[in-house]
Amino acid sequence: MAVRLTVNGKKQTVEVESDTPLLWVVRDELGLKGTKFGCGKGLCGACTVHLNGQPVRSCSTPVEMAEGGDVITIEGLTTDGDLHPLQLAWVEHGVPQCGYCQSGQIMSAAHLLQHNESPSREDIVAAVSGNLCRCGTYSRIVAAVESVVESRVGQSSHGEA
Amino acid sequence: MTMNRRDFLKVTAGTSGGLVISLSLPGCAGIQTGYDQNSGDWKPDAWLELTTDDKVYFTLARVEMGQGTYTGLTTLIAEELEVAPAAIQPRFAPVAPEYRNPLYKLQLTGGSTSMATSWQPLRIAGASARIMLIRAAASVWEVSPEDCRAADGRVVHPNGNESLSYGRLVELAAKQKVPGDPVLKPREEWKYIGRNRGRLDAEAKSTGAPIYGIDVELDGMVYAVVTRPPRYGARLRSFDDSEARKLPGVLDVFEIERGVAVVADKYWRARKAQDVLTIEWDNSDALSLSNDEVFSSYHKAADEDPGESERSEGDYGDAVESAERLVDASYEQPYLAHATLEPMNATAWYRNNGIEVWAPTQAPDLGRIAAARVTDLSPDDVTIHTTFLGGGFGRRLTNDYIEEASAVAFRVGKPVKLIWSREEDTRHDLYRPAMLHRMQASVSGDQVTGWHHQIVGPQILDWYVRNAAPAQYPWAPKYLYNTLGRVGLMAEGIATPKDHSAIEGAIEYPYRVPNLDIRHTHTDPGVPVSWWRSVGFSHNGFAVETFMDELASELGQDPYQFRRSLIDHEPRHLEVLDRAVRLAQWDDPAPEGRARGIALFRSFGTYVAQVVEASVEAGEIRVHKVVCAVDCGQVVNPDIVRDQIEGGVIFGLTAALYGNITFRNGQVEQSNFHDYPLMRHDQRPEVVVDIVDSEAAPTGVGEPGVPPVIPALGNALFALTGKRQRRLPLKAQV
Repeated sequence: MAVRLTVNGKKQTVEVESDTPLLWVVRDELGLKGTKFGCGKGLCGACTVHLNGQPVRSCSTPVEMAEGGDVITIEGLTTDGDLHPLQLAWVEHGVPQCGYCQSGQIMSAAHLLQHNESPSREDIVAAVSGNLCRCGTYSRIVAAVESVVESRVGQSSHGEA
Repeated sequence: MTMNRRDFLKVTAGTSGGLVISLSLPGCAGIQTGYDQNSGDWKPDAWLELTTDDKVYFTLARVEMGQGTYTGLTTLIAEELEVAPAAIQPRFAPVAPEYRNPLYKLQLTGGSTSMATSWQPLRIAGASARIMLIRAAASVWEVSPEDCRAADGRVVHPNGNESLSYGRLVELAAKQKVPGDPVLKPREEWKYIGRNRGRLDAEAKSTGAPIYGIDVELDGMVYAVVTRPPRYGARLRSFDDSEARKLPGVLDVFEIERGVAVVADKYWRARKAQDVLTIEWDNSDALSLSNDEVFSSYHKAADEDPGESERSEGDYGDAVESAERLVDASYEQPYLAHATLEPMNATAWYRNNGIEVWAPTQAPDLGRIAAARVTDLSPDDVTIHTTFLGGGFGRRLTNDYIEEASAVAFRVGKPVKLIWSREEDTRHDLYRPAMLHRMQASVSGDQVTGWHHQIVGPQILDWYVRNAAPAQYPWAPKYLYNTLGRVGLMAEGIATPKDHSAIEGAIEYPYRVPNLDIRHTHTDPGVPVSWWRSVGFSHNGFAVETFMDELASELGQDPYQFRRSLIDHEPRHLEVLDRAVRLAQWDDPAPEGRARGIALFRSFGTYVAQVVEASVEAGEIRVHKVVCAVDCGQVVNPDIVRDQIEGGVIFGLTAALYGNITFRNGQVEQSNFHDYPLMRHDQRPEVVVDIVDSEAAPTGVGEPGVPPVIPALGNALFALTGKRQRRLPLKAQV
């Protein structure tokens, strides 16, 4: 079937079987390799993308469920070559080890920050707990997200002053 | 040689070559410097390449799987070359003898050896290039090289004003004599070693750049999946692909040595076709064991065979004779999967009588053997392009996925990407061996007089030599591969190297006990096994440090003081032990409902002491805090040392709490992260890492964080509940 999607702001039409997971459409039909295959069952979070503003596991989301939808992938966080604040924080904190899970981690955290101006540590941990990291980078992930939250709070209080 | 400025400009104008500094690792063929005046071609037997346009390329002979070689080894080059690490472009080495790991005589990354084996050679490579560049500049300026200095990719004139960039100097530098024994920078002049933070690959890994094996994309590429026999050792009897071939996009279905391959134009179509195959397996030689049989066979072997003596000191028999009492315990540890987050995959392309492979592999020279073994090609016809690895942990030392992709590509003649599913990855791993440990100590008064440790289980090399042995003799005819593997022709000629995989960490027993008897009973249930992060230390650490805790308890001593009294002759052990205890406030009571456990263990040359604070809440083990004191010699990148130790802790706790691969009728029962879970964010403890400031040569950090955390947690649970944990994974209630 022909499936229409808007991916990272760009309208796309792909010709695939309706049950093809969104993951493989994004990776192989659209060539966006940042979204990773980890488990195929929605258990590890490496394939996390935003579909219509919600974080979803693209490995277990048939593309037909995304028909007409708005998809943001890790590549969509970078605009005109400028890294997203989370990506900058990831670099600053040296978060990635093997790095394979980090796209998914960042996409989960990005969704949190879109909907919660100043999340607590518990909020952050809850938002990323579905994202496995075999290298054990968890503490740096939380520290990196917290640094973005702190700089936001700093900016807004500065703005009010 | 001197040269005036006009001549110099004439020489450098319009060239595009590079200065290639090549150093030979011990045991490899002669030193070569390569500069191709005409083509400026890069030569593969080199670490460093400088080009006329001021680029510095560094060939990384150790793969990057998260452990930080990409940054750490580049830092060594940067320090001596006087170029910022971020200005150097690392690239992964092709297969060549110069890139072999000198400890293994194979081009592999493992054993926490990258920094230890690169520390001298890479700094010498950087220093040699720097000296030649300085000499080149001095000859242009007609000044003494001793009066010039290098900084930030330039040579600075003695007057301090003029400078020449490395790019301008490369061709002249190539004409300088290679310094035989360059003087390395003294510690106090280091700019990057011990100071550099962060990771050079962090941005690529935070933006979704296509850097992993699974991301390789080639024109006209097709996809393959392979169905392997569910029981190890089974063979294909027959298959029916009539339904599969009717499905859209399916290009071919055929038998390969390891199973049935489906090739399709898209990955998902290959998977759907795989689902409708009907396959019959011949199970006559297949593994049929179930989990209980693994350990019953181990106990039987232990009863029948005391095993080979691996270390004997004093007379343990006498110690037993004269002992007031004997303390016994036995420990069982299960098979464990590696569970790299990037599943096994490889892309292969057969054309022009050669095969190119793109793969995340820890051992590219073994990848060549794997590809050659299943095709008509020789290893020289196989080119391996190593990518970033989405985790390794020892799994990618075995190139079964390269073997499969090559076998398929050889038949298809198009670029083929093979991807394993998570279920396939879990069920067709080569596992950390299940092990049995029988411990005994002789005790008189408050003294331990003898230590007996019988290790029962397989040796990994038995499973590994098939591809590893021929990789050391790539010129050997292929019909000899299996023979080489069988007789274990490895490393130095005919002698089979000693396989320490079962006994490491046990034979180095460091405590002052006068009579030692450490043995290995070699028995193998037939389950494929391999190296797994920290290898033998992973199980021997648990055995040694749990039994030490049992003895402390038996003697009514504090577990820390007990260890301390027996290790005051080992200053580096003692230092980390004291530090961990101080930081963990061992002498203060643990918070209400919690208890602490301790372990001290040296692996891969690195000393680690850990104190774990744990509780049992709502029937589940909860790890609150892990304090680690680490002595890994000279620290190159403090951030990476910290994250490796912390990552090791999470990896070890995952094994301690959940790791359990079990068999039923020869089949692995687990399949995905729901039944082979990994520690998650909301389960992680606070981890504190304290690093000893040391000037000793650097040792590895990728693995040593793993072994002690497992017994330290078990010991904490004993302190909490009074019940000893003698079987892994640990349970809230024993």
